Amino acid sequence: MGDKDKSPKKKKGGKDMDELKKEVPITEHKMSIEEVCRKFQTDCVQGLTNAKAAEYLIRDGPNALTPPPTTPEWVKFCRQLFGGFSVLLWTGAVLCFLAYAIQAATEDDPAGDNLYLGIVLTAVVVITGCFSYFQEAKSSKIMESFKNMVPQQALVIREGEKVQINAEEVVGGDLVEVKGGDRIPADIRVVSAHGCKVDNSSLTGESEPQSRSPDNTHDNPLETRNVAFFSTNCVEGTARGIVICTGDHTVMGRIATLTSGLETGKTPIAKEIEHFIHIITGVAVFLGVTFFILAIVLGYSWLEAVIFLIGIIVANVPEGLLATVTVCLTLTAKRMAKKNCLVKNLEAVETLGSTSTICSDKTGTLTQNRMTVAHMWFDNQIHEADTTEDQSGASFDKSSVTWLSLARVAGLCNRAQFKAGQDALPILKRDVAGDASESALLKCIELCCGSVRANRDRNKKVAEIPFNSTNKYQLSIHETEDTNDNRYLLVMKGAPERILDCCSTIMVQGKEQPMDEELKESFQNAYMELGGLGERVLGFCHTMLAEDQYPKGFAFDTDDVNFQTDQLCFIGLMSMIDPPRAAVPDAVGKCRSAGIKVIMVTGDHPITAKAIAKGVGIISEGNETVEDIAARLNIPVSQVNPRDAKACVIHGTDLKDLSQDQMDDILRNHTEIVFARTSPQQKLIIVEGCQRLGAIVAVTGDGVNDSPALKKADIGVAMGISGSDVSKQAADMILLDDNFASIVTGVEEGRLIFDNLKKSIAYTLTSNIPEITPFLLFICANIPLPLGTITILCIDLGTDMVPAISLAYETAESDIMKRQPRNPFRDKLVNERLISIAYGQIGMIQAVAGFFAYFVILAENGFLPSRLVGIRLNWDDRSVNDLEDSYGQQWTYEQRKIVEFTCHTAFFVSIVVVQWADVIICKTRRNSVFQQGMRNKILIFGLFEETALAAFLSYCPGMDVALRMYPLKPSWWFCAFPYSFLIFVYDEVRKLLLRRNPGGWVERETYY
Amino acid sequence: MVSLSTGASRSLATVATQTPWKIARRAFTLAAVKIFLFYVIFYGCLAGIFIGTIQALLLTLSNYKPTYQDRVAPPGLSHTPRSVKSEIAYKKSNEESYSKYTDAMTAFLKMYDLDIQTDGQNYEDCGVTPQTYKDRGGLEDSELGQRKACRFDRKLLGVCSGLDDPHYGFNEGKPCLIVKLNRIVNFKPRAPTNNQSLPEALQAKSQPNLIPIYCKNKREEDESKIGEIKYYGMGEGFPLQYYPYYGRLLHAQYLQPLVAIQFTNLTLDQELRIECKVYGANIDYSEKDRYQGRFDVKFTISS
Repeated sequence: MGDKDKSPKKKKGGKDMDELKKEVPITEHKMSIEEVCRKFQTDCVQGLTNAKAAEYLIRDGPNALTPPPTTPEWVKFCRQLFGGFSVLLWTGAVLCFLAYAIQAATEDDPAGDNLYLGIVLTAVVVITGCFSYFQEAKSSKIMESFKNMVPQQALVIREGEKVQINAEEVVGGDLVEVKGGDRIPADIRVVSAHGCKVDNSSLTGESEPQSRSPDNTHDNPLETRNVAFFSTNCVEGTARGIVICTGDHTVMGRIATLTSGLETGKTPIAKEIEHFIHIITGVAVFLGVTFFILAIVLGYSWLEAVIFLIGIIVANVPEGLLATVTVCLTLTAKRMAKKNCLVKNLEAVETLGSTSTICSDKTGTLTQNRMTVAHMWFDNQIHEADTTEDQSGASFDKSSVTWLSLARVAGLCNRAQFKAGQDALPILKRDVAGDASESALLKCIELCCGSVRANRDRNKKVAEIPFNSTNKYQLSIHETEDTNDNRYLLVMKGAPERILDCCSTIMVQGKEQPMDEELKESFQNAYMELGGLGERVLGFCHTMLAEDQYPKGFAFDTDDVNFQTDQLCFIGLMSMIDPPRAAVPDAVGKCRSAGIKVIMVTGDHPITAKAIAKGVGIISEGNETVEDIAARLNIPVSQVNPRDAKACVIHGTDLKDLSQDQMDDILRNHTEIVFARTSPQQKLIIVEGCQRLGAIVAVTGDGVNDSPALKKADIGVAMGISGSDVSKQAADMILLDDNFASIVTGVEEGRLIFDNLKKSIAYTLTSNIPEITPFLLFICANIPLPLGTITILCIDLGTDMVPAISLAYETAESDIMKRQPRNPFRDKLVNERLISIAYGQIGMIQAVAGFFAYFVILAENGFLPSRLVGIRLNWDDRSVNDLEDSYGQQWTYEQRKIVEFTCHTAFFVSIVVVQWADVIICKTRRNSVFQQGMRNKILIFGLFEETALAAFLSYCPGMDVALRMYPLKPSWWFCAFPYSFLIFVYDEVRKLLLRRNPGGWVERETYY
Repeated sequence: MVSLSTGASRSLATVATQTPWKIARRAFTLAAVKIFLFYVIFYGCLAGIFIGTIQALLLTLSNYKPTYQDRVAPPGLSHTPRSVKSEIAYKKSNEESYSKYTDAMTAFLKMYDLDIQTDGQNYEDCGVTPQTYKDRGGLEDSELGQRKACRFDRKLLGVCSGLDDPHYGFNEGKPCLIVKLNRIVNFKPRAPTNNQSLPEALQAKSQPNLIPIYCKNKREEDESKIGEIKYYGMGEGFPLQYYPYYGRLLHAQYLQPLVAIQFTNLTLDQELRIECKVYGANIDYSEKDRYQGRFDVKFTISS
């Protein structure tokens, strides 16, 4: 019914969402400035008129992110209170009250049992509901985190005057000015810029600041230089631009709306619990109806039959299970938090265990998120630098004179420097002021050759030309450290081909040689090779300026270059990459062997992405992409059968043109996939594609651009250190150490808790049978009631709790990381085999044990089993105070009721005794207990705890009044022992057969 | 059948599509049969084990005396007719309104008809005054076989015997109650040792071998409304020569002594609460059990 109500609404929401999932529709970057001005009826010098601005403000609304319609707190609370498992308990409670109402209306002195049971059920649901509510209340602050990114003020030019206004009042067509340190107040088309660089990392994931200029450099609005985006940072320089989108229409606004508006599906564990409820309800209703009919046939009145029906249905509700599951998940969440996986949503604990696909972001998760010098080329040879986090990797020969020169150039021609006050820190951990490549060089040189700063002090800088995109090089002129030498040293670095053009000689083994064709060829090869590794390559050269031309004190003019910039001496290349984290290849390998597909989704370039993918094993050794095959066979890409390639690298622009079927095809047929240059919307589409194929998808990411995918994923994993606030809000889990390897821990814990929950549930459900059968026999055989409502509650909410929870501490039976992820359609948390074992076999033995204790007590008090059948009506008749037993003795009502309640106590104690054996057999599903051992201390504690509790309930004075439980004679404790032993032996034999006969009948019918 | 009548090719096709389904169904039914068989055997064994343990239990039990008697003793005091919610209400003039009570009394007293008690093999006279316990040998002494029972003559119950008045006084507003002390195997009630604990009315006529019974108003304000209460029976109490009881197996003919209580002058059209108590050294009362050594009953007789 609820679904029917929702569907039209959902459809509408879905349509909006589909709209948002499409690519950004910005076209202004392709227009000329005049066209843009015309479009917004503005002027690129004077800005909008105030009137126009006011008009636009009314038309478009304020430049702010609209929060999604929030669900009020009480609705959320009710959702916790009436969702999932609670429904079952609520139904039970309502039925109890109904039964009590019927009894109260028809009898003068109704038994309070149903009333108490109803109250207890209500209390259980409310308490666990509150618990989960407070767990969840912390999350879901996505929109707030987006709002924190939005600038407060903006500098706009209206009617030719600069005015500082509230960012909310900025409208389309406004001419705005931004400078270094500002946040950009809206999406703007740059009109003019001076050395402007923006940090787009929150949008695209690219950590490098990017320069902005008025020229259109790319068709894709996200990549073109002439658009700056709402809420990104301007790092340096100034720019002026025309606002083209505001508020929710901006790129960031669309991501925010998309993220906060996405409907996420149910977690796998929630689905499993739902399935479980269906089974339990099915069994309960089946039993209830069967015995309802039976009761009618046996001649009970309609009213009695209805009360029996309700009683049976309620008796089937495992009252303690909701709490058990919640506690088990909480315990695992705590354990995971210790291992750096912070779980925000309790149900997500298990999700990682079910995960079959991980879509991982590259930067920061797989890689160290810092540029590092990886290779160098000098002396006509490629040298490998150490890129590991702890400097444990290989080193190279540092004695070459060429290397010293290269290090000197790299250190001097470098504007990056360490921030102050970090001398105590290891070099790699220090913060650097400067761009990523320069920092990489700085750290590399500092590591190899000692203090760069001292070197710079010795070689005073006299002039400098900073890097710009036209020159594509950076140059500086220094005094030499040799005080006798009055020559100046010119050092230069930049794009390798540019540097090579400036050079006429090359240094080999410390000697300058003329640059010949052979060396040039060698240079080209090295450049291609390093580039092919996805690395950023820089060339270095230097020269000593002739003293006669440039005497000491020569005024170098960097604007109007008055010195030699050619005929230099080429020294070498250095290439940098953001290297993979050390633990990642191993972790990826573990995911592989655990049957999890790892897909890389990154905003980075395909070549870099592929290189890293190969480095960490996402594309495993020997696997080729279509392009690789084509290159190897020297045939066009179109002739390669795509099925031959297991791996593939897909560019974002290609992804845009793919149909849904093609997308499915790619995801289905390639085991190793890398998506490069993807937009936030595309990440979302990839996730949805995987989910469409039935995969349970985990997404890792740290940027704002990842947040829609994080939200949509079955489990979103954000990065604790580098992650943006928004991504953390959208995620279900946070990796506190940003390390992909922690995900493996998460997977392991998730799988373990799924197995252990099965065991917990098997354990808890088993005692349901000895709880129901007494009532059934009471109806059918007319014997005194063997087990009362209060004692049932004592089992479900008392003695069973700790052992059930202790099973969450059970260690894995086998290497759970060596098997495939569970199939959500086939491998259920609770399946018919579990029910068959728990209800049909072990539960029945337990019931028989309970009945034995019951018959022992009644027989020893004078009522032999033969006397009991059919005695019920007289037994429960208050006016009969001379009921005869088998020996001819006469009993008053109260006297025999005390015996009956003693029986309840004994039945209860017997269940505790047989549950000892049950918890031990539930420790394992396949192995013998002797293989598994009894190392679970909590479980041992649980055994003692339940026994102590049972003894307390039986012997504590006052319990006869409070709970109607009576002290047992010591011998009555031993009634269930043979059955407890029987359970243990039976299950050990079953498991033995199961192990001996893999795939045999026993496994097919009893392995849960 | 349909497929046979149509073209051969089509029937072939149907067979081809049906066969895997049939195989699947057969496999399914086979699995179901196996499971069913398994459960039949499993429950068979379980039932066997259960019956075995029950048999073992029965072996440990005595035929003559239950293992524990701590819950059944001290004895209850029960009355005929039974009261529903300890209430006896009827209309004096309307026989139908009290016939259920009188019928129950007649049925109960039938067991005490003298013509059943003639057999000298099983019955003996135990005197007409209360005497001490009659020991008939040890309980487990199987050679002694059936033990004799003391006769109990209905006439002892006087006007409440039902021999003269089939209405047991109900029609006159003077209803009778037949009271018995519940049977407990091998239990010997002891006469009160201390006269001080008895109600004043009993102190005067205290007898040594008798468990006396006494009824009075439960509520203070009813004191004047219940009138005289008459007691019938041997010594107006439970004489000790009827004890001990040797259990159903050895003492099948046993008749427990009865006392009849007649309320001769109850105020009509009012709810009157009366409490009856027996007094003895080993007779106890319990807060919770309103029938242990005592009972209370509400009379509402309307004219």
